[in-house]
Amino acid sequence: MTTTITKTFQVDFPIEAVWDNLTNPDKVVNCVPGASLTEKVDADNFKGEVELKFGPVKAKYAGLITFLERDAAARKMVMKGVGTDSKGKGGADMEMNGHLVEKDGGTEVSVSMEVSVTGMLAQFGSRLINDVTNQVFDQFVNNFKGQLAGQTVDNDLSAGSIVGGMLKGIFGK
Amino acid sequence: MGHSMKRKEDARFIQGKGHYVDDIKLPGMLYMDIVRSPYAYAKIKNIDTEAALKVPGVVAVVTGRDLEKYNLHWMPTLMSDTQMVLPTDTVMYQAQEVAAVIATSRYAARDGREAVLVEYEPMKPVMDPYKSLLPNAPVLRPDKPGKTDNHIWHWEVGDKEKTEAVFAKAEVVVKQDMYIPRIHVASIETCGCVADYDKVNNHLTMYMTTQAPHAIRTVIALVAGHVGLTEEKIRVISPDLGGGFGGKVPVYPGYVIAIAVSFLVGAPVKWIEDRSENLQADSFARDYHITAEMAGTKDGKILATRFKVLADHGYTDASANPSKFPTGLFSIGTGSYDYGTAYMEADAVYTNKPPGGVAYRCSFRVTEAVHAIERITDRFALEVGKDPAELRMQNFIKKEDFPWKSPTGWTYDSGDYHAGLKKAMDAIDYAGLRKEQAEKRAKGELMGIGISTFTEIVGAGPSKDFDILGIKMFDSAEIRVHPTGKAIARFGTKSQGQGHETTYAQIIAEELGIPAEHIQVEEGDTDTAPYGLGTYASRSTPTAGAAAAMAARKLRDKARKIAAYLLEVSEADLEWEPGKFFVKGAPEKVKTIQEIVFAAYTNHPQGMEAGFEATHYYDPPNLTFPSGAYICVVDVDKETGGINVRRFVAIDDCGHIINPMIVQGQVHGGLTQGIAPAMYEELIYDEAGNILNGTLMDYLVPTAVESPSWETGHVVTPSPHHPIGAKGVGESPTVGAPPAIANAIVDALSPYGITHLDIPITPFKVWKALKEKGAI
Repeated sequence: MTTTITKTFQVDFPIEAVWDNLTNPDKVVNCVPGASLTEKVDADNFKGEVELKFGPVKAKYAGLITFLERDAAARKMVMKGVGTDSKGKGGADMEMNGHLVEKDGGTEVSVSMEVSVTGMLAQFGSRLINDVTNQVFDQFVNNFKGQLAGQTVDNDLSAGSIVGGMLKGIFGK
Repeated sequence: MGHSMKRKEDARFIQGKGHYVDDIKLPGMLYMDIVRSPYAYAKIKNIDTEAALKVPGVVAVVTGRDLEKYNLHWMPTLMSDTQMVLPTDTVMYQAQEVAAVIATSRYAARDGREAVLVEYEPMKPVMDPYKSLLPNAPVLRPDKPGKTDNHIWHWEVGDKEKTEAVFAKAEVVVKQDMYIPRIHVASIETCGCVADYDKVNNHLTMYMTTQAPHAIRTVIALVAGHVGLTEEKIRVISPDLGGGFGGKVPVYPGYVIAIAVSFLVGAPVKWIEDRSENLQADSFARDYHITAEMAGTKDGKILATRFKVLADHGYTDASANPSKFPTGLFSIGTGSYDYGTAYMEADAVYTNKPPGGVAYRCSFRVTEAVHAIERITDRFALEVGKDPAELRMQNFIKKEDFPWKSPTGWTYDSGDYHAGLKKAMDAIDYAGLRKEQAEKRAKGELMGIGISTFTEIVGAGPSKDFDILGIKMFDSAEIRVHPTGKAIARFGTKSQGQGHETTYAQIIAEELGIPAEHIQVEEGDTDTAPYGLGTYASRSTPTAGAAAAMAARKLRDKARKIAAYLLEVSEADLEWEPGKFFVKGAPEKVKTIQEIVFAAYTNHPQGMEAGFEATHYYDPPNLTFPSGAYICVVDVDKETGGINVRRFVAIDDCGHIINPMIVQGQVHGGLTQGIAPAMYEELIYDEAGNILNGTLMDYLVPTAVESPSWETGHVVTPSPHHPIGAKGVGESPTVGAPPAIANAIVDALSPYGITHLDIPITPFKVWKALKEKGAI
């Protein structure tokens, strides 16, 4: 079960600051809802955890986050995360491509995210995966903008509760 | 016979007093739940059971390694393939059984299941059957010695060269690829069992959801004989079943694990699937990729057909076909038409999907065959510019040509296809509909009329060709009449809701004159019922129903002897009328069947065996060939692709009808299960092997809301070789409805150059096709 989402947005910050936020593992992971870093393996590899929630189904993936590319000259980065559910219920892969361009005195950020899930989430969440990924992504963008503006980022997993609300509506519970 | 007697079993069913497997509770019973694989293809690196064993109530966790010690980790399938009970190294499909948790309550077992930690190493699964045959595909079954590819078997029938010659010279040839999707029976009751092994007496009682209790007993004996569980020590009881439809024929790993655990711990073990497990892991049906071709003349005469099939069986061939028929009775696919040349071939492959496939309310792949012939016939009609009804009338086998030998080797017993289609056309006002359609088309509105005139093949089957694991596919009946003239009758079949308790009683009543309400019918207990192969493939009436008639006739012969003795006349002087023998020309000299039976226990002739009992094992001389003419009218909304089935007329020929009300109920249910794959149902997998609709939230089973108002009727051509002329009806509507619906929808869309759509035909598919053709 794979879904790809691409978003382009404008921020009023210099490209250098944006690049720093996007390629610094602590800072970028801090903006991903439900994600946290647990261990630094080397400069490009990190261990971390991501929690995903598709309505009633919750999964916690522990895995490896790798920066495949951080090209400061071209302002392009590729980050890959591979994880398996801590209870053996499935796995998830994510590849994120980021590209920055100076525009209108600020920076235009293009990010695409390809998420694929295997196992229980894919079985029960196939109809929701696009919506959930989209919401997680929106939240990431908001967090990212907030962090640039110097706000404290809350990367709690609120997207899931929205879907949860939707499901409750369907089931009438 | 011929009376709409109310179903005897309904008194308990409608009051919620049915007795199902999950109603069975035994002292000291343990509960089992199953850990299943999230991956379609993965190596098992480790199974950590420590946390699970600490869950309160959990008594054991069983893995493939545990079963391996007893050589119980693999089992044979009915098709002589092999299937894992629990894996030791590799999982082959998503939702495959990985370990079993045994606990003192169902809840504890589920909690324990959540606590089992399995470490997998995922591999890239093979999901596409065509890619599975490519040389670079991984070999999925290296456990099979010498296996170097994923090809399972090749099958063919007919005359290849002659067919090629006819095609080469034909004026018109049409060809259509079609996919008959993987679907699921989705019976209301899921599968389950209570395995009760008694250590002291070395005896197993197995309560389980099975359509074929005796065959299962033999299979258990074959699998577990080496650990001392021989056939006389095994009793299989199949209580009330909440639907089977073929899904309760196979032996699933859960049953075997429950037996193994009960054997090892010496306590009864209950296993009941939940809904998603049932949908995701139990045997699928269909999944045939078919290329169908038809050759004919410009004026619409069919000359030959050629079908090529790729069958996706998942990781093992766990079909439930008769042994000699790897594609079941697919070769019925030459249809209801009079031509002499055909060739069919099929290849089966392994993929990383659940194993199967079962004959879902279908006599072994007949649904796939009928869809192919009825779709390609419509394609041919479109190509030569003839009305599909007219083209069918032109090509039908004539009533007087029966018994008719088909180009693939079957001998059709009887039929009147012209009368069936005519009756359906009159009932629906075919001419009027075509007129209305022309008017609508002129206004740009979409309306379609679809026909399916199918021939079924049921009642497997004659022992010279039909067996399962070597056991011939006869079936049996045993009738015992008590001194007061009331009877108990037992059968080797097993009702799943078909109403056997009523129809069998009616057959015996007809033959013996004992009122049906005084005949108690019992099935499903291997300790009491005579051996039989069970109920599926519409075989119960053709086989066990025939056995009932034959056993009753044996008793009638005995009754004649007793009557002659009591009336002091010779047997030849007696005449039979249902319920009594009387002396020819002296009707006042009479003995009722009740008086005769009483005499069999109280005053039987010297030299005659006392009692009034008979058993018959019926080996059918041929299969029966029910047929039908179905016409469907649809209105299609051009803007949304929405499809409304406006009318559906089904004219069936199932030979003599035993209980019209039960037949009508069967037809209504079957038609609803026919609209299901035509418009709603398909098990969908992604490339990673995930099932994308593994719950009933996403897998669309039609309900009363989606079902049109069915209009039914009959023509009757009795089967000449069946004792009561009956043919079987359970599956006809499921088999015949999908092409009628598909043909109607394609007919509606044909003004825009659309000549085929694969089922299920959803509004999105219709909308997309119209969009592609520039119609909207």
